[in-house]
Amino acid sequence: MKYLVTICFGLFIFNLNIEAQKFTTTNAQMLVMTNEDSLQVGTNSQKTVISGYGSAVYQRNFNEKQSTITLERAVLFVGHQFSQKISFFSELEIENAKVEGGVSNNAEISMEQAFLKFNINAHQYIIAGLFTPRIGILNENHLPVNFNGVLRPMVETLIIPATWRELGIGFYGNSEKIPLNYSFALMNGLEGQNFEHGTGIRGGRAEGNLASANNIAITAAVQYYWKNFKFQVSGYSCGTVTLSPKSSDSLGLNSGAFGTPLYLGEADVQFEKNEWSAKALGTYIAYPDAGKMNTIYPNNTATGMYGLYMEVAYDWLFVKKSKASFISFVRFESLNMNSSIASNGEGIYDGTENQQYLIMGIGYLPIPNVVIKADIQLLHTGPQNPALVVNPAPNALPYIQNNQFLNLGIGYSF
Amino acid sequence: MQIERRKFLESACKVCLLAGAGFLISDLAACSPSTKVLKLPITQDAVSLPILSFANEPMQIVRPEGWIYNIAVRQLSTDRYEAILMQCTHQQNQLLLNSNGFKCNLHGSQFNLEGQVVKGPAERSLKAFKTTINQSDLVVQLKS
Repeated sequence: MKYLVTICFGLFIFNLNIEAQKFTTTNAQMLVMTNEDSLQVGTNSQKTVISGYGSAVYQRNFNEKQSTITLERAVLFVGHQFSQKISFFSELEIENAKVEGGVSNNAEISMEQAFLKFNINAHQYIIAGLFTPRIGILNENHLPVNFNGVLRPMVETLIIPATWRELGIGFYGNSEKIPLNYSFALMNGLEGQNFEHGTGIRGGRAEGNLASANNIAITAAVQYYWKNFKFQVSGYSCGTVTLSPKSSDSLGLNSGAFGTPLYLGEADVQFEKNEWSAKALGTYIAYPDAGKMNTIYPNNTATGMYGLYMEVAYDWLFVKKSKASFISFVRFESLNMNSSIASNGEGIYDGTENQQYLIMGIGYLPIPNVVIKADIQLLHTGPQNPALVVNPAPNALPYIQNNQFLNLGIGYSF
Repeated sequence: MQIERRKFLESACKVCLLAGAGFLISDLAACSPSTKVLKLPITQDAVSLPILSFANEPMQIVRPEGWIYNIAVRQLSTDRYEAILMQCTHQQNQLLLNSNGFKCNLHGSQFNLEGQVVKGPAERSLKAFKTTINQSDLVVQLKS
C-alpha cells in the first residue's frame, strides 16, 4: 500500500508542469520594498521586509497503524534595515497550528529568532538577541526548501537540538584572503534540570524564555570552502546548573558560568556539483557530571551521546537547466542518546535511545521556494530495557525494534 | 567521568587537527573563487579596475568605497563581463561566494554565478550592473 501511495504521489508530481516558471515578487514584498535605487543599495537604505516559511506533514506509523497530519510550522519573518549598518531580523513561529489556553497538543507560539545585526564592515558583523548559533548544518538554515526529507534529520533534532536558539551576542565574519568563514557567540547556557530522557539535551533549551544567566555558553565555528566542498567544524560548551551558588552547593552541584559543564563537538562536510549533492555530519556530546545531576533530577541523562548521518541526493531536472528541481535522496542516520552512562547506578542504559534510520525519498520544487516531499523512513532501535518499564499500560504491546514510516509534506519559503 | 573527559579531549583534538588541515590546504585556495577584495573609489557613479587583473583570475571581488556590499565581477569572454551585487534579495544580507555561486548564511538562499535563485527563500535574481570597457580598464556603472 505504501508503495502504491508513493507511486501515485510521484505521478502526480510528474504531471505538474515542470517548465521553468518566472519568479515574481510577492505582493507583500511589493508593498514594503520600495525605493530600490541602485546607488542606494550599497550605501544607504531603509526597508522593512515581510516573508516567511512553513510546512505541513502527513505521517503514517506502520507499527502503530496510526496516521497524523499537522501544519508543522508556519513562520513569519519580519526584518527591518534601519541603516546600512544596523538591521533587525525576526522569526515568529506557530507550531502545529493551534494553541489554546497556553499549551495545547504540542502546539507552540514562539520567537524563533529576534536579533539586531550590526555591520562592522562588508565581511564582519555582530548580532545580539535571540538567534540560532552556527552548530551543525540545519540549525542556521532550517527552511524546508533547503533540506531533503519531510522531517528534519533526526541527528539534528535529537542530538543537535535544532532549531536551537538562545539569547546572546555573536561575532560573524569571513576572510578576505581565503574562502573561510568564522563565528563566535556567547549565550545563556542549557538548563540541565530540564533534560528529558529520550530527547537528549533538547529540553534544556531556554529559547529566550526567562533563561538563567548564571550559567553561560560559548560556541564557535569555522567553515572552509574548497572546490565543490564546504567543511565546517563547530564546538559548544556551557554550564548546566541554573541554581544560585547556595542552592547548588547544598545539592552538591557545581554552579557558575561553566559549572557542571556540557560539551558538544561537531564536524560536517557538504558537496555540491551539478546534479549531485551530498553531506555528512558527525557530532558528540559529553556531559561528564550527568550522574550527579541524575541523583538530584531523575532524568536519566547520559554522560555521552553521538550522532552521525550521511546523505546523497540527485537532481533529475538539473540537466534541463530548469528552475524546477526533482530531487531523490537517501540518508542514513545513526544516533545514540546514551552511548555512555554514569557509573554507580546513576544512569540506566536504554536501548531504545540507540537508533538507526534509513530514509529514502523525493522532493519536487516547481520553483526554488516551494517543495512537495515524500519519503519512507525505516527505523531500527536497540532493545527496550525492562528496568525502565514502570507501570506499563494494561494494553501495552511488546516493544518492537523495527518500524516504518511514510512521510508526505509540503513546504514553502518566501 | 575522567574517561569521558579524555574522550571529549580526544574528539576536540581531532576537530582541531581537522581545522588545522583546513588552514594547511589554504594554498589550494586557488581552486576556489578568489575572495580577495579590491577596494575602489567611486568616480562619477562608477568604479574602474584594470582588465589585466582578470588575467589570472576570471572573478574579481570589488567594493566601492563606503559600501558594505561587494560586487562580483566576472569575465565571461575577452570583451564580456558581468558585475553582480553580493546582496541577498531576500533580506539584504551580505552574500558569500563559493565555486557554485553565492550563498546567504542568514536564511540559506543560494544563487548561481549568474545571480539566479537556486534555493529560496529569495525570489529575485541578484542585481547586476552594466559594465563598459574604457581603454585598459573595466568600468562598473553603479547607477545602472
